[in-house]
Amino acid sequence: MNFNLLKEHQMLIKLYEEFTEKEVKPWAEEIDETETFPVNTLEKLKRYGFMGIPFPKKYGGAGGDILSYILAVETLSKACATTGVVVSAHTSLCGAPIFEFGSEEQKLKYLVPLASGEKLGAFALTEANAGTDAAAQQTVAVKDGDNYIINGSKIFITNAGIADIYVIMAMTDKSQGTRGISAFIVEADTPGFTIGKKEAKMGIRGSSTCELIFENCIIPKENLIGKEGKGFSIAMKTLDGGRIGIAAQALGIAQGALDETVNYVKERRQFGKPLSYFQNTQFQLAEMKTKIEAARMLVYKAAYLKESNLPYANEAAMAKLYASETAMEVTTKAVQLHGGYGYTREYPVERMMRDAKITEIYEGTSEVQKMVIAANLLK
Amino acid sequence: MNKGVWVFIEQREGEVQKVSLELLGKGRQLADQLSTKLTALLMGENVAQAAQELIYRGADEVIVVEDSLLNVYITEPYTKVMSCLIEERRPEIILIGATAIGRDLAPRVSARVHTGLTADCTSLEIEDETQNLLMTRPAFGGNIMATIICPDFRPQMSTVRPGVMVELDIDTTRKGEIINIKPSLVKEDINVEILEIVKEKKQKVKIEEANVLISGGRGLGKIDGFEILNQLASELGGMVSGSRAVVDAGWIDRDYQVGQTGKTVRPNLYFACGISGAIQHVAGMEESELIIAINKNTEAPIFEVADVGIVGDVHKVIPALIEELKSLKK
Ligand SMILES: Cc1cc2nc3c(=O)[nH]c(=O)nc-3n(C[C@H](O)[C@H](O)[C@H](O)COP(=O)(O)OP(=O)(O)OC[C@H]3O[C@@H](n4cnc5c(N)ncnc54)[C@H](O)[C@@H]3O)c2cc1C
Ligand SMILES: Cc1cc2nc3c(=O)[nH]c(=O)nc-3n(C[C@H](O)[C@H](O)[C@H](O)COP(=O)(O)OP(=O)(O)OC[C@H]3O[C@@H](n4cnc5c(N)ncnc54)[C@H](O)[C@@H]3O)c2cc1C
Repeated sequence: MNFNLLKEHQMLIKLYEEFTEKEVKPWAEEIDETETFPVNTLEKLKRYGFMGIPFPKKYGGAGGDILSYILAVETLSKACATTGVVVSAHTSLCGAPIFEFGSEEQKLKYLVPLASGEKLGAFALTEANAGTDAAAQQTVAVKDGDNYIINGSKIFITNAGIADIYVIMAMTDKSQGTRGISAFIVEADTPGFTIGKKEAKMGIRGSSTCELIFENCIIPKENLIGKEGKGFSIAMKTLDGGRIGIAAQALGIAQGALDETVNYVKERRQFGKPLSYFQNTQFQLAEMKTKIEAARMLVYKAAYLKESNLPYANEAAMAKLYASETAMEVTTKAVQLHGGYGYTREYPVERMMRDAKITEIYEGTSEVQKMVIAANLLK
Repeated sequence: MNKGVWVFIEQREGEVQKVSLELLGKGRQLADQLSTKLTALLMGENVAQAAQELIYRGADEVIVVEDSLLNVYITEPYTKVMSCLIEERRPEIILIGATAIGRDLAPRVSARVHTGLTADCTSLEIEDETQNLLMTRPAFGGNIMATIICPDFRPQMSTVRPGVMVELDIDTTRKGEIINIKPSLVKEDINVEILEIVKEKKQKVKIEEANVLISGGRGLGKIDGFEILNQLASELGGMVSGSRAVVDAGWIDRDYQVGQTGKTVRPNLYFACGISGAIQHVAGMEESELIIAINKNTEAPIFEVADVGIVGDVHKVIPALIEELKSLKK
């Protein structure tokens, strides 16, 4: 058993940190304030090979392992949770299912531009009436000769409107229930496919979250991923992987907030002493640090299991549950330790607190993670 | 000793308002109980032609006061004429419709002749022993019914809520006296100058208050789809509303959005036209009395809450519906 990161991972972290400091942190406040997608950052992420870290070089990726990718999401999220989720949704939710379940043709046609960063990806499962109950899909895909005709809508889709390639779920056979759901690849400019209104959100405000609308949207049958009826299983497996990404995002948010707080309490003085002198401050920081470290171990372990082709769904659920709840707790404490200043938008911790909340909700709520963990425990 | 029941006849552009006819109905009853006369007081310019109908509707006599200064309702000249007539003729009871005009006029008159006034009554009775008028009105937002009497002063004045009393049918065999009076009004009595009278085109009702709502969704296809909804709405005397999708698309204003983040509505009749029935929409309208859904998709979840479901194209179903409604009206 070895808890040290490999040399190559340590080097990667250095690289990610430099990039984050230079290209991400300076824009974090602005994209939150103006709710604009970080287009310029995306250009740079693409140039530095952030968009396909875990995919083989032959598919346009960087040929890294899962942990290399997870470390990237964590580091980016320390400064800007929006940038973290743009990369995570793109990689884990769009690139990964095509890589894991797509045909060779699909990989060449779609994964290559995704992994090289030439195109941006999104994943669409959630509907107005199918959130946690993801099997209650109402979007339908009807086979018509060499095509499928898609009708329906999706909500809350990350990267929507900016993405070029979407992995979507639709019912091909309602009578089969979850076995009647299929996964498809839809290109952004397909006729009959439009983007609805952008949601106004509490946090990760630079990330674009919109509705997708399909009105007699015709796609070729070659865009079916795997077999008909396999969609639900593809979606669930995709989310298992995605959860490690969100756990890494939560971990980064928490670490970022702790770093800010440590600096702050050393500078700010009250009663003639720095805040860091008070034992309450010290104990709060100690708890924050301990929880972050525990979360980190869970996240890295899940990444390791996935990399090693071992079962990891349970560990991914635990990592996401614990890391996101830690992020919420740590950011709340960070605001408290900043006092009144922490409540103002001059300091980044209030943004981090707003960003932290979504990690307990998307890619399966905390409650869903508990269902997964409990089901494993009691089986 | 005061005697007689008076009803102030409210006219607008020479047309007698319905509430005044209702008050004549009630006034007839009160006058009979008190064995006294029912008088209609009609003021304005060129309004005398309405007097005969007032007799047919129950009045024993009509006092017609005509003057160009009474052309449109203005507080001072109307108050002056009415107060003078009261002092001269001493009626026992005066009923005035609780309209914008009535609510303005009645307190002015009551203060000038120094008597009691009960506003916005919903029930009027004569007390057997004392012969006093029992004036009952809802108070505190309708939570308390107060019965008020005016024992020491006369006349007993009351404004009455429109719609609660019942008008009498026209009875052309009824006879009565028409008394024309020339008022002593001077220019100085006009202390207010009316610059302009604006008639609003049908008041903008809020969708929460509509009895009938014709709601459109993305299934209308484009903004023009609202034309047929407007037609249906005018046919049924309702309003148009929509889902968030059509608001987002800019087809209608945000004020008209039904649902969790829009308005919660509870009309007697709700038409869902080309609306899928997402839970966020349904949450805002499921309490409607009768829900009629038109959607071309049999699987649309809106059919789970609809009382009547029509599977079909809105652009075919609604025009057919409008035709049918028109022919029924003929
Ligand atoms: C910013 C943002 C980005 C998103 N990005 C994407 C995306 O890219 N792609 C995508 O497909 N989706 C995306 N989503 C959707 C997200 O995954 C869902 O919002 C989430 O899964 C929860 O579904 P819901 O919102 O419908 O909540 P609901 O399912 O309505 O749940 C509401 C509450 O009830 C609880 N609950 C529900 N069922 C149970 C149960 N059986 N037992 C106990 N508790 C229960 C939930 O845990 C939650 O607390 C995104 C959402 C947001 C807000
Ligand atoms: C945060 C949030 C809040 C929301 N709040 C609300 C809210 O307050 N109110 C609200 O309404 N929505 C709300 N929504 C949106 C909701 O989830 C749905 O997206 C929306 O209600 C869908 O509108 P729709 O039914 O008009 O469109 P769609 O879901 O696209 O449905 C169109 C329907 O029309 C049918 N159709 C198509 N063509 C025809 C035709 N020619 N003839 C007949 N039928 C046809 C189709 O079969 C389909 O069922 C909210 C969403 C979010 C994310």
